[in-house]
Amino acid sequence: MMMLQADSLHIKRANRAALNGINFHVNSGEIYALLGGNGAGKSTTLLSFLGFLKPSQGQVRVKGIEVKSNIAAARKVMTYLPESASLYDHMNAYENLKYFLQLAKRHVTESDIQHALNRVSLNQDSWKIKLRDYSKGMRQKVAIALSILRDTDILLLDEPTSGLDPAAIDEFHALIRDLANNGKAILMVTHDVYGACQVAERIGLLRDGQLVGEFSSHSDAPIDPQIVHSAFLRNK
Amino acid sequence: MKEIVYIAVGELRYWLRSHLALGGSLVFLMLISITSILTTGHINAENNARVQQQKNAEDTFLTQPDRHPHRMVHYGHYVFRSPPPLATFDPGLDAITGQSIFLEGHRQNTAMFAESGASADLGGLSWLSPALVYQIFAPLIIILLGHGAIAREREAALLTPILSLGVSGYSLVLGKALALLIFIIIIMIPLMVTCTIAVFKGADPIAAGLLFCVYLLYLIVWGIMTLCVSSILHKRSTVLAVLSSCWFIFNLALPSLAVNFVTYTTPLSGKIETDLTLLADLHKVGDGHNINDPAFGQLREQLLKKYNAQSLADLPVNFRGIVAIEGERKLTNVLNSYAARRMAGETQQSQQLANYGWLTPTLAITFISRSIAGTDLANYHRFQKEAEALRFSFVQKLNHAHAEQLSYSDDIQRNKDEASGLKARINASNWKSLGSYHFKKSILSDRVKSAFYSFNILLTWFFEMCIMLFLCARGINS
Amino acid sequence: MNPLETPFIKTIRREIAFTARDHTVWFWMIIVTCLSVLSVAFGQAEIKHQHVQIQSLVQANEASNTLESSKWNDWGSAAFYHYHMTYDAPSDFAFAALGQRDNQPWKHRIRMLALEGQIYERDVSNPSITIIGRFDFSFLAAFVFPLILIMLLYDLRASEIKAGRYHLLVSSVSHIASLWPLRTILRTTAVLLCLLVPMIFAGAINGTSLSTLLQASIMVLLFTLFWSVVCYIVSAWRQSSAIILTTLVGLWVVTAVVLPAGAKVAIDKAVPLPSGADILLHQRETVNDAWDIPKEITMNNFLQRHPKWANYQPKPPSFDWPWYYAFQQVGDQATENLSTAYRNGRLQRDRIAGWVSLIAPSSLLERSLQSLANTGTAASIDYEDRVRIYHSKLREFYYPKLFRHEPYDKTHLNKVPRFNGR
Repeated sequence: MMMLQADSLHIKRANRAALNGINFHVNSGEIYALLGGNGAGKSTTLLSFLGFLKPSQGQVRVKGIEVKSNIAAARKVMTYLPESASLYDHMNAYENLKYFLQLAKRHVTESDIQHALNRVSLNQDSWKIKLRDYSKGMRQKVAIALSILRDTDILLLDEPTSGLDPAAIDEFHALIRDLANNGKAILMVTHDVYGACQVAERIGLLRDGQLVGEFSSHSDAPIDPQIVHSAFLRNK
Repeated sequence: MKEIVYIAVGELRYWLRSHLALGGSLVFLMLISITSILTTGHINAENNARVQQQKNAEDTFLTQPDRHPHRMVHYGHYVFRSPPPLATFDPGLDAITGQSIFLEGHRQNTAMFAESGASADLGGLSWLSPALVYQIFAPLIIILLGHGAIAREREAALLTPILSLGVSGYSLVLGKALALLIFIIIIMIPLMVTCTIAVFKGADPIAAGLLFCVYLLYLIVWGIMTLCVSSILHKRSTVLAVLSSCWFIFNLALPSLAVNFVTYTTPLSGKIETDLTLLADLHKVGDGHNINDPAFGQLREQLLKKYNAQSLADLPVNFRGIVAIEGERKLTNVLNSYAARRMAGETQQSQQLANYGWLTPTLAITFISRSIAGTDLANYHRFQKEAEALRFSFVQKLNHAHAEQLSYSDDIQRNKDEASGLKARINASNWKSLGSYHFKKSILSDRVKSAFYSFNILLTWFFEMCIMLFLCARGINS
Repeated sequence: MNPLETPFIKTIRREIAFTARDHTVWFWMIIVTCLSVLSVAFGQAEIKHQHVQIQSLVQANEASNTLESSKWNDWGSAAFYHYHMTYDAPSDFAFAALGQRDNQPWKHRIRMLALEGQIYERDVSNPSITIIGRFDFSFLAAFVFPLILIMLLYDLRASEIKAGRYHLLVSSVSHIASLWPLRTILRTTAVLLCLLVPMIFAGAINGTSLSTLLQASIMVLLFTLFWSVVCYIVSAWRQSSAIILTTLVGLWVVTAVVLPAGAKVAIDKAVPLPSGADILLHQRETVNDAWDIPKEITMNNFLQRHPKWANYQPKPPSFDWPWYYAFQQVGDQATENLSTAYRNGRLQRDRIAGWVSLIAPSSLLERSLQSLANTGTAASIDYEDRVRIYHSKLREFYYPKLFRHEPYDKTHLNKVPRFNGR
């Protein structure tokens, strides 16, 4: 089932074309990685799915809903994790989750929260520590726990692995793989070619607001990073 | 709706965990508590002292021996201005206006001995009162807590994730506003306590309630201003700098600049200046000491005709007393017209000043607060008018006693020798006609009426701020 | 080597160029200039108004005396009806610090009667104006200007840290002294000039003496130096700019408001004054009682202090003017102690306030500018003293004529001492 859909999406930012007619979609149970350099339009794409940026042409659809006409309904089915895993420093993991879930109008029990934190394998000792003392990987885990608890069908991840050490990246990939296997549609934007090839079913290559290539994995063969890498560097 | 509460609770939790917010609030609460205690003590002491002084003045007047009535007219009397009960919250003009007026025949004296004239002078804002603390320092603490409300979320890149949860910009802003409102109500507890104590000391409960409401409105205006700036600007430190600048421009610079403009555009002439023109007018009235003053010629004719008498000695009343009555009456009319002109000038000047409330809400609240507390210019004028009424009444009562209880022949021979002097006296029981005086608080409806103009200004500020906030919230939404 | 090309000059030129690119610096420079011009211009207008007022009052009083004088037929009535204008003309620097002139009387119209009944008259302006106070140069410099300095200087380092440029900057400059201190000095100098130039300009127009202007400028300079050093030290603190700004504004609140206000309450408590009402009540009692007690008692009281007139012979049966003025003076004598205590108490309070202001820089600057402009409490008490001296001169003038029964001579009225209002 098509969960996210961009149809000839044009976005203007500061009177400049940030996206210039891109088409792609993400299915449920699939991880789609949007790959691109700085300023290619990756984050712009995410923000347009969230309804923060309005298309000047074309449209974006979330679960078939046209975002422009019903932002609230679209946002309800997506969880957005920004680049720095932004959460409140002055609260602990538990309080952060509770607060965000309240804002998302989602009622969960304490045991749900404990369950989710266990699932992202966040060390139980650190649950009551304020987030200002967390490492980036730990914050990322709390953010994933939030998406688990919100139980939305779609996950939008903005540069989720930047600044994580290799062990944390592996752990993170395992987590989102697990979510995708449970039927979630995951759209992540990244400039990490090898990470994307490792985890994503499909990769879209963005350059100057245009989708210049799409790569798919097959049941037995993941995407070859060498090919993507050379495509990424071409015409630079 | 519920999310607004959650956001408010989240913001309150942030403040509870922020040393800056906690420390700031604590310092503010200490400042307001100490100021309230000191001011309440001071005003109550002043009140007791002035009531006592009033009583002393009355006792001294009453214990005067038998005398020639006109001696008592010149002996005179004092009235003291007691501060109204709500002066413990807003002493207003109490400290800088004269506390007592000397009442005597033929003259309207100024109120003398303002506290400020004798106090140590350290400049600036050194007259701290609970009202001033709320007018000037409460906004500062609101800015300190509120400046980060939206800007902090934006700086921590939390704005987008929160909105992507389906929370609208309106809910976010309203939630933050609710948290600020709760904080404002908490810092207004000292106001409630001070005003409640004042109510037990005789203040109108309605006035105390009104004070609470207008200060709430005023602080809300600052709260909303804070939120607007916080949601427009991106850097938290810029928000704080812009708001602090607004704060000192609104609170320090604009009110005194307004004073400069007002005194320049509508200058008032001083008392000496008017006294000089007054003197010329008084000559036309005639000298009440001099029965031969041509100004009283007609009166003499009328009386002689009425009683069918040949000479003044034949009149059943003391003509000197009659002249004193008539002279005082005419003179007082002139004095009153001058006094009315001066008060109108002062009122107009302060009205002009109130107009600058459109530029700074601080001026609006100072006018409202002083009016409701009964410590404004109108109250001071009322004191002067009451004192004048009392002066006129006791002088005329003595003049009537002069006319009716002292014979003309005794009167004109009073300086002949000691025995004649003793004869030209009236009984000391006449002094009782002075009665006792207490400067009471004014009627509530009058105070509310005089607060009305500035209240409209403040209300306009409130609505303007609400519209601003609405526009800012809409900006966040997209 | 071209002297303009030394590394030091280069550094300064670099930083001037850097500061000049900053919009906030320009913004505050314009604001300070406007405020300074406004404060000085309105101060100037007010001073001019006061001069005009004094002149017209002196003239009107003169005219009124001339008009009245036709009715005077003896020295007693001449002394009784003759009013004398006294005033304290504003100094040539008063435009910058109007001080107590809105709150304390600076003009009295007095006559030969007991002075105590006259000297406490308050011919002052509208209280709802006085309570706010004027925006004069001293207020701007002492209270508003430090806040503007804070706004300019609090963010110097923290903003660079926040933007991630701090370490780059620090590692790029050869001398760290050429960076933060230089930037602080440049910004401070820029706004300080905006503050001072209008004042000096107005001083030049008014013919204020150079030394006064110099002293005032040095006072403001030292005060500015104090605040920029405070800002420099606090902003060196490794904290967020919000905390730095709050700390600085907090320091301002404590030194400019809380300390002075607290000190005022404490000083007023520590130095009690006789109540003004007591002075007046007591004076009135003495003056009025004189009518009821034998004249000899009054005259004895009077002669004890003025034995000069001991051989005075009353001239019955007419109304005895010398006796009348004697009991007026006895009235003043009776309240002498209270009145002196009231005066000295106020001076004492002012002196202590002067000491306290050493820890409250804003008060110190405002008070210093006021004393330079002769508009402080001390100046207003000094005026009161001068009125007292003048009043005693009036007595010296009239007493010989009264007590020696000199014949009334209108022409002698020209010799009545005149008040020198400076």
